[in-house]
Amino acid sequence: MLFKDQLQFVLQHMKKNKLRVTMTVLAAMIGCAFLIVLASIGFGIQQTMENEILNDEAITQIELWGDEILSEKDQEYIEGIDHVNVVLNKADISGMVKSTLEDREGESNASIVDMEAQQQLPSTLSEGRLPKEPNEIVVGYHYAQNLLNEEDIAAIEQKSQKAEQEGTYYDSSEEGYKGELLNKEVTLQFYDENTQEYMEPATFTIVGVLSRPSYEWFVDSKIMFSDSLLGEFPELITYPATTIYVDSIENVMPVLELLKEQNYQVYSQVEQLEELDMFFLIFKIGLIFIGTIAILIASIGIFNTMTMAVTERTREIGVLKAIGASPSLIQRLFLMESTFIGLLGTMLAVIVSYAVSFAANAILPYVVSFALSDEDLSSYEITFSLIPWSLVVIAGGISLAVAILSGLRPARNATKIEVIQALRQEL
Amino acid sequence: MITVKSLHHTFSIGKKGHERKVEVLKGINFHIQTGEIVAIVGKSGSGKSTLLQTIAGFMKPDSGSILVNNTEIAGFTEKQSAAFRLDHFGFIFQNFQLLPSQTVFENIELPLKLKGVSRAIREKKVAELLKKVGLTSVADHYPNELSGGQQQRVSIARAMITNPPIILADEPTGSLDSQTEQEILSLIRLLNKNENLTFVIITHDEEVASIADRQFRMTDGVLVGGMLHVI
Repeated sequence: MLFKDQLQFVLQHMKKNKLRVTMTVLAAMIGCAFLIVLASIGFGIQQTMENEILNDEAITQIELWGDEILSEKDQEYIEGIDHVNVVLNKADISGMVKSTLEDREGESNASIVDMEAQQQLPSTLSEGRLPKEPNEIVVGYHYAQNLLNEEDIAAIEQKSQKAEQEGTYYDSSEEGYKGELLNKEVTLQFYDENTQEYMEPATFTIVGVLSRPSYEWFVDSKIMFSDSLLGEFPELITYPATTIYVDSIENVMPVLELLKEQNYQVYSQVEQLEELDMFFLIFKIGLIFIGTIAILIASIGIFNTMTMAVTERTREIGVLKAIGASPSLIQRLFLMESTFIGLLGTMLAVIVSYAVSFAANAILPYVVSFALSDEDLSSYEITFSLIPWSLVVIAGGISLAVAILSGLRPARNATKIEVIQALRQEL
Repeated sequence: MITVKSLHHTFSIGKKGHERKVEVLKGINFHIQTGEIVAIVGKSGSGKSTLLQTIAGFMKPDSGSILVNNTEIAGFTEKQSAAFRLDHFGFIFQNFQLLPSQTVFENIELPLKLKGVSRAIREKKVAELLKKVGLTSVADHYPNELSGGQQQRVSIARAMITNPPIILADEPTGSLDSQTEQEILSLIRLLNKNENLTFVIITHDEEVASIADRQFRMTDGVLVGGMLHVI
């Protein structure tokens, strides 16, 4: 029998039992859609968390810790590793640095950076240049906001109190120094850990301002010094660290593994990403397993429908066999019918799932914000539900396989119908 | 054409554990030649239908040989039997056995569909045959819209559509009135004459048997009075 004729034969029968077939297709659709939507939550949360990590500029960086500054020999070895672009030595200065500009004061974290190496990296400045002299500095994007006078402090206190009464929070973004920072001279005082007091003030020139941080919530008011600062202030206590810049994300792990083999204390966020992948793989398998139960329940419907179809068509099967239809053809015709039900259910399920996923991502941020009486979550990039093609393929495959398996037994039963018994049946 | 030798078949009847064996075919022997109309007559329960069903391959005999066109079919598997039926046999049943969901046209073309014949050739062949059996005007009708005689004509057309050399008919006029019975018998005779088709007719009706070239009588599983040339 030509495939076209087999298909026509099957469709003709499905049309005849429209209501029953429609209900079975709906059951298959609900089962499959449940599986897809449930698993999509896992994919959604994973993407949200991965984006959080990937958005961080530090994703292609490897942090190297040690108590002392990296030796030249070590530096040469690391720089010689394939895919390592830059080895940046830096050191965090112990204690806060006090800044004074006109009548304003502020406190910042500070670090010393190997400016020669920094120069080789893509610019992280929003304006200006990197320091060349010991008395030149680069400041964070929010440095100016951190410089407050008494009026600002009073205004912040007032606004904070008001916000507290309203149940919100004031981030002090409206206050601070509003003028141009570039080429401004500021007076800085380092904190002396030994005397527990601030050292004598020294004047520095701001030659650059760092770019805005990628996280909205991050307030960057740090100060970056050139490594020549230590010549001027040898008594400063610093905590050295080295950042290794790798050319691309996929080369981070091989470089990391190599450094670990050489007993370097290294860490990268990519490791976190890999751990996250493993966790979500197990999580998603769990969700798919739960979703599959829904499909199995739907399969009972398909089994019933196909069993009914075989029972109703016993005489017809008898006639077909009598005039020469092979048992394999009879089995194929019934399997095609159950497959078709599964296929229709799956296709509808994919459409419904995408609609539910889209609606969930559009509506849920507002619902969650409302429920938590929190700030508006819609500005955050939170994915509640994500349906990648791989999920559609997995869920579709499970749904179709279950539909075929459900139809297998009734189809086999159809082939076992005896012609003589079948032909004896009344219309 | 058809040679049956020492055909035996036994049924088990009754509850499991208390079965009783009933031998329905007790060593049947006969030979049918091409272009013959052969009638096998007998009372109900004599084993005549079992004989037809065994020849058709609907059931396997316990022992014996069935040669059709020099092919031994008694030991065929279900799949082989089905393929052989499609090529060599046409069937006419007492209750017509038409598919109610299919039109007259679709019912007749069914064996061609099973053979994988293209739609264009099917349409041509069915149209020719509809003309032959005088049903062109009801091609789009469903079986329940036809009279008994018309339904049996459709059944005959379906049996002939693949040009099988042998037509097996089980009580072909059993559900028809006497006038329609005559029409169907005339058609069978005509088709036998014009198309040189071999007919094996199972009947308990002597009038139906009277159109046969030869008659066999089945009594308690034994074919008696065989080789009797009646015409």
